Amino acid sequence: MTMHPHSTPPHAAEGVLLSACDVVRTYRMGRVEVPVLKSASIDVKPGEWVAILGSSGSGKSTLLHLLGGLDRADSGTVTFRGEHVGGYSQSRLDRYRNEHIGFVFQFYHLLPELNVLENTLLPATIGIGRFEWMRRQGEIRDRARMLLDRFGLSHRFRHRPAELSGGERQRVAIARALMHNPDVLLADEPTGNLDAKTGDTILDMIAEQHRAGLTVVMVTHDQWIAARADRTVHLVDGRVA
Amino acid sequence: MFLKPLRFGTLAVYTQLLVRRYLSTRIIPLIAVAAVGLCVALVVIVVSVMSGFLDNLRASGRTLMGDVVISYPVQGIPYYKEFIADVLKLPGAAAATPLVDTYGLLRMPYPGGPNKDVVTAQVWAIEPETFSQVTELDRTIWWKPAASAQEALTMAEDDPRRQQDLSGLYEDAKVLRDRATGRPGALLGMHVSIVNQRQRDGSYRPRNSMWWMPNHEITVTLVPISEKGTVSQSNSRVFKVVNEVMSGVFQVDKNRVFIPLKEGQELLRLDEAPIVDTTAVPDASGNYPVIGTSPARATQILVRAKEGVTPDELRVQVAEAYEQFYLQKSADPNVRTRPPAAEYVSIMTWEQRLRDLIAPVEKERQMMRILFSITYLVCAGLILAIFWSIVSEKTRDIGILRAIGASRMGVLWIFLRYGLTIGMVGSGVGIVLAWLVIRNINAIHMALGNDAPPWLYVTFFLLAAGSAALTVRALTRSRILSVLLWTVATLALVGIGTGLVLHRGFLIWDPAVYYFATIPSEMDWNNAWITAVGAIVFSVLGAAVPAARAADIDPVRALRYE
Repeated sequence: MTMHPHSTPPHAAEGVLLSACDVVRTYRMGRVEVPVLKSASIDVKPGEWVAILGSSGSGKSTLLHLLGGLDRADSGTVTFRGEHVGGYSQSRLDRYRNEHIGFVFQFYHLLPELNVLENTLLPATIGIGRFEWMRRQGEIRDRARMLLDRFGLSHRFRHRPAELSGGERQRVAIARALMHNPDVLLADEPTGNLDAKTGDTILDMIAEQHRAGLTVVMVTHDQWIAARADRTVHLVDGRVA
Repeated sequence: MFLKPLRFGTLAVYTQLLVRRYLSTRIIPLIAVAAVGLCVALVVIVVSVMSGFLDNLRASGRTLMGDVVISYPVQGIPYYKEFIADVLKLPGAAAATPLVDTYGLLRMPYPGGPNKDVVTAQVWAIEPETFSQVTELDRTIWWKPAASAQEALTMAEDDPRRQQDLSGLYEDAKVLRDRATGRPGALLGMHVSIVNQRQRDGSYRPRNSMWWMPNHEITVTLVPISEKGTVSQSNSRVFKVVNEVMSGVFQVDKNRVFIPLKEGQELLRLDEAPIVDTTAVPDASGNYPVIGTSPARATQILVRAKEGVTPDELRVQVAEAYEQFYLQKSADPNVRTRPPAAEYVSIMTWEQRLRDLIAPVEKERQMMRILFSITYLVCAGLILAIFWSIVSEKTRDIGILRAIGASRMGVLWIFLRYGLTIGMVGSGVGIVLAWLVIRNINAIHMALGNDAPPWLYVTFFLLAAGSAALTVRALTRSRILSVLLWTVATLALVGIGTGLVLHRGFLIWDPAVYYFATIPSEMDWNNAWITAVGAIVFSVLGAAVPAARAADIDPVRALRYE
């Protein structure tokens, strides 16, 4: 791909926040090449909640990683606000993930050495230099506390992830993802490791954020969960069905 | 966006937070800190002791022999007083003193009865007044009043220095004469008398107070050697022991005796004497006619440099002065006894005189530095191994950090900073440990020289008993790891306790081998800082490889890492 990083790709549709167009991604497993995505395309509009539904191995997590700038496509384009994400430099890509994207994973992925408040603060501590941190620390901490308070975790600030239940951990992960007020929340099977009731609570929280205007892309293999989204995209064998 | 503008790089707060947490919530980094600390302490202690040893050698060289030594053994240098007058006119010379050095026999006052101990000694016949100007004889005189009331309080109750008025003895030592009787005095090295015993606090007591040397006399026997190199009739004289000296150099304190120059010259027949014409007809009394005077001689002349003049500069000046002195005396027709030519006279700085002693120690110190530098590699290897395992264990965390926006440089910096912190904390621990050991090295050494006190091994056995009880408790609960750890602890404690019971005391630092009575206990700070910086650099180097590996981890794979 030889596109200018900030040029607008020809396919970028009006009013699309995030899109993938004909993305191909192949992984090498030893000597074997495994094609995971075979020309998948998706457009996500601002404020939209899109569910990517597919069975295990269909490439839905890979598509999410490409949209979030964690991985680069072999071919095809990923665009954010019309900018070609694949053309970003490494540092610009890091900043893209930090500023615009909030990830939520199936296994929570909290850092075990940090307490709840510190895990939530992590995006801010990554994105801000020491001097700005010293200047704005109070304001930043207030926001983290506000988020945790909203998710019913105000009594857990000093607790480590190991001391929390699965639902609590996922609520901390969502608070962390929202810490920087991202443009898009990318959720990879956010309820996959939770019981049905707790999972519903988590989906309610995501729905609440969505109602407040947050764009959400959620990967799931469960069509009942996908039904909570505005729109469902089916991914079958590396292609959008 | 809520938080903008965002900044990336090594100043980010999360690296500091994570390093602090990785250090405080895990055992492995503490082991790394301990390892670095021990490596640093080891190098600092060894090199400090060796540097102290070298410094002592150098300091004692100057203390004992001034800056430049002119030496012509056995025959001695005639007209030395005139030469000293010439030397004192030199721009670099502050003081000069003649002496006669030889080996002799000392008849000691002990034991009781007619058969007394006889020991060999290096006898220095000196002029005490000028000798004190060149060397630091006053400082080495042992039996003297305390410099202050405070110093007196630090002395043990039974220290003779505290019990007796030593001012008279001190004044006698400074003139090398028993002022009450006018008899010549002798100053003995502290270890010449086998009766003197060194105490834990570094002070001395006679094993039997009866044989406190300043209450006694010794007989010095010296053997003159003729110009032909043959041994003449030996001469003996009794000297009152006016004091004892403690230079700190064991070889000196064990062998050296000071007597007045005049007596030394007389005993060796190096004093001024008439020259008679044995070819002439003797007078009525049978005496040959006197045709001149053979001047008194000194076998060494010690010179002290003025402030700011190096021993080497002074040596050059003295050598030129001697050349002039020799030429002048050789050209004088009235001089019958010529001084030795300059090429036969040794004119050396104190460092050159001690070169045989100093050079090997310097080489040994250098070799020690190189050998112990291997410990840096141990530090680096240890940290590399530990960090490699930490990076493997933290792979998923690295993926999480990357997903949230951490840069590769940020991840790299976490682990480099981790290594840097371990190096810095370890070095700090090592320097403090080394400082504590060096400060107390003589006390530790003395403690090793004694049997272990019962309370110490009893404590270890009690701890072992407690540990054994915990082993049994772990056994009843079927905890294999606990059983293993408590068993090892029990065995270690029993082993230490048994070792302490069997310990019969040994002294590593034998003053007869290492020249000095005490182990140098000054920290070599320059070396300590260099060692600390080296350990920090190698800790960071050890962390660099795993850190680079962490930075290279693909975040997608890292997130899937189990």
